[in-house]
Amino acid sequence: MQRTPGTPVKLLAIVCLAAPLHAGAQVSNPFEGDARAIRAGERLYANRCAACHGADGKGATGPDVTMLWLEGTNDEHVFQTVREGVDGAVMPPSFAPDEELWAMVAYLRDISTVPPFDPAGGDAGSGREIFAANCAQCHRVNGDGGTLGPDLSNIAAVRSREALIGSIRDPSETVEAGYRTVTLVAADGERIEGVVKGEDAFSIQVVDTDARLQGYLKANLRRFVHEDESLMPRFGRLRLSERELDDLLAFLGTLREDASADR
Amino acid sequence: MSMRKTLVLVSGLLLTTTVAGALFAQSDPSDSVPGDPSDPGVSYADILRGFDDPSSWLTYSGDFSGRRHSPLTQINRENVNRLAPAWTFQTGTLTRGRGFETTPLLYDGVLYVTGSNNFAWALDARTGRPFWTYQRDLPDNLTYGRVAPVNRGFGMLGNRLFMVTLDAHLLAFDRRTGNVLWDVVLADYEIGHAATLAPLVIDDKVVVGISGGEYPTRGFIDAYDPATGDLVWRFYTIPDWGEPGSETWPNEEAAMQGGGGTWMTGSYDPELDLLYWGTGNPNPDYYGASRLGDNLYTASIVAVEGATGELKWHYQFTPHDIHDWDSNHVPVQAELMIDGEERKVVMVANRNGFFYVLDRRDGELLLAEPFTDTTWAREIGADGRPIVLNNDGSGGCLPDQWGGTNFMPPTYDPALELFFVNARETCSSYVPFEPEYVRGEATTGGVVWTDRDVEYGALRAIDVMTGERLWEFRYPSATMAGVMSTAAGLVFAGDHQGNFMAFDGATGENLWYYPTGSRIWGAAAMTYILDGRQFVVIPSGTTLVAFALPRYEFASPAGGR
Ligand code: HEC
Ligand code: HEC
Repeated sequence: MQRTPGTPVKLLAIVCLAAPLHAGAQVSNPFEGDARAIRAGERLYANRCAACHGADGKGATGPDVTMLWLEGTNDEHVFQTVREGVDGAVMPPSFAPDEELWAMVAYLRDISTVPPFDPAGGDAGSGREIFAANCAQCHRVNGDGGTLGPDLSNIAAVRSREALIGSIRDPSETVEAGYRTVTLVAADGERIEGVVKGEDAFSIQVVDTDARLQGYLKANLRRFVHEDESLMPRFGRLRLSERELDDLLAFLGTLREDASADR
Repeated sequence: MSMRKTLVLVSGLLLTTTVAGALFAQSDPSDSVPGDPSDPGVSYADILRGFDDPSSWLTYSGDFSGRRHSPLTQINRENVNRLAPAWTFQTGTLTRGRGFETTPLLYDGVLYVTGSNNFAWALDARTGRPFWTYQRDLPDNLTYGRVAPVNRGFGMLGNRLFMVTLDAHLLAFDRRTGNVLWDVVLADYEIGHAATLAPLVIDDKVVVGISGGEYPTRGFIDAYDPATGDLVWRFYTIPDWGEPGSETWPNEEAAMQGGGGTWMTGSYDPELDLLYWGTGNPNPDYYGASRLGDNLYTASIVAVEGATGELKWHYQFTPHDIHDWDSNHVPVQAELMIDGEERKVVMVANRNGFFYVLDRRDGELLLAEPFTDTTWAREIGADGRPIVLNNDGSGGCLPDQWGGTNFMPPTYDPALELFFVNARETCSSYVPFEPEYVRGEATTGGVVWTDRDVEYGALRAIDVMTGERLWEFRYPSATMAGVMSTAAGLVFAGDHQGNFMAFDGATGENLWYYPTGSRIWGAAAMTYILDGRQFVVIPSGTTLVAFALPRYEFASPAGGR
């Protein structure tokens, strides 16, 4: 194996400053939270993993790797997966030194963790009512609610407070994949609004505003338009005061606790 | 499409099938591949004849020209909308992250098919029923072979089939039994090599290339003796240190691990005895600072003498590439009247988004026009080099690392003088950084950010005289599926949603489609006629599907077997 002379092994140098591994029942990451290791891990990840898992870890040909801790994994398990690869899949084993693997684990954990948000001030009980009145027709939590929008049971664990506020105040700013809006005009002139679940050159699969799953042949439509706007209405201050928003967020935050208690 | 033409063709074929039928009757079809035990099999003259006998398909692109343009016209513009599945073969082997990328070969009524994970089969071309199955016992520490566990097909000569493997070997099989006759090592897979292409059999040589340009490797084209597996010659895509071209690298070390894979089957001009072969990205893919210079002969086409492996000419599409834009495409040959003179040309729609026409005798650049909308470069200068506007994507969209197209075969219809290619419109930017070298690990050296909201794919018809786009048919996402054309004026294409489609080549009108249920990835269709019935075959997902017109659509001359 060739190592270019004059190519210093910077990353290794960084991570080797930290303590060696301890033997123990559950091996913990010697670099957990270590900013330098996380930076090193980021570069290693970009070099060796991003092609399959996406530059942001959100998945490409390989799966999203930013939800692992949320789904109940631990550092050692991720370490072993990266070391051994996934049998029968293209996920390769890694022959890199332990330190590099731990640095990548530290990085993955860093990008996977959304700081818990402070429910200070918000009243979860009132938030539950606001949710039932304004949101449940389109969103499920813990099994109840509508299906036009995404399930929000876990949303506080995977989105920051700022992102949630953005989604509620101005939904069209970022529209979730799998929930893009489409307007169809059928041959008889009927207008159908819905979110796109699938599309190819000849057909489109839609969940309409009545939550009906329906496929359409493009050739049979008078026209179809992909809209930039979200199907979720804007909840501006007139519709949802700052106080009510806090209550709503507090409610969504308690769901997060419930969800993690199940694991 | 004239009716008379079809009839003539069919009756011409009647003769062939009767002869084949007679041979068939002499053997027991129950266990091994049928045929006369004294049949010498495929001769080099047979391969040279290419599409003259459309009841066979003996080399990856159907003939040496790389055009993938069949003379068959039974399926035509009028009846293609009645095309229906005739059979499906389930391979049972999954290609995670990639596709079922093969082109089957056809000889004497039998399809010889390679699959992912180094499976292979001999199938009855009329029914899809297997005669034999082969699976290679692969080591568990594959490198690139694990990332892309694919294979693109067999080469064939005599009664032998040739296949490369994910652990970078070349195998010869007995086509009748699937038994391995010899097995030679191409390269060390543990440092990053693998082999995935369909071998190209030319006069008494099996020509192959190698994968692994994402790793510190040095690409090559090899020619082997079909009888013994002995190496006849090797051409390195990165010259020896001190040889011409090596001055385009900063030092020997960077050059010797500079990539330049040769992982896609080339084309061949038997008169000039020149092989045309694409070469891959320089290594590391995105980090160029450790390999300043043009990095010859990466991201190029090389013309190499078949007899000796000597380089006759080269043309570099992407000097000093930093986008993983391999130039591993099927070089497509044509004879074009340019300024009143017939030119033998070779055409490439490149991953960098340009369509090129070169004189295939000397490599003179005749035409280069963009066939995608990206801003990397919009013209090629008088010196033959791209005038780069935006090399990292900061000033607009660049094609992603999969390119403006990729290795999936394009096709050329000489009657229409149109080149058909599945184009990919994507929007990426590139952020390089200095990579680490670890044995057995890829050294990409950067991150690619892609805006997945704006991509699409399109089948495009390119006028080969001007490079202009005549028409396009769009798909909702960028595709990796290949294209085939026929003398009926049809173009068969696939897409990422799994549709297998037929188009009117002259107008771009979609005439037929069939949802196969899995993306078509890296494969193009092939076609043949047996017992007077034309089949079109496409690999998709884990299946190989054959389409034909319903039997009542045409007179079955022999009444079937
Ligand atoms: C060639 C593509 C490829 C590369 C390179 C790759 N992976 Fe994977 N990875 C996959 C695939 C595909 C899976 C899913 C395997 C399965 O379960 O089928 C996976 C699974 C995983 C998992 C388990 C995910 C889960 O949901 O349990 C982790 C963790 C992971 N990869 C991390 C990495 C890291 C870290 C790297 C770089 C060192 C890497 N991968 C490199 C393709 C890849
Ligand atoms: C008319 C249906 C509808 C109503 C009512 C509605 N939403 Fe939505 N919501 C959607 C749709 C559709 C999406 C997905 C498209 C998008 O991202 O904008 C969405 C997305 C979201 C998201 C982003 C989810 C993610 O994965 O990031 C959040 C958060 C959200 N809604 C919260 C709410 C809250 C809180 C309310 C009540 C105040 C509400 N929604 C009311 C339809 C609705």
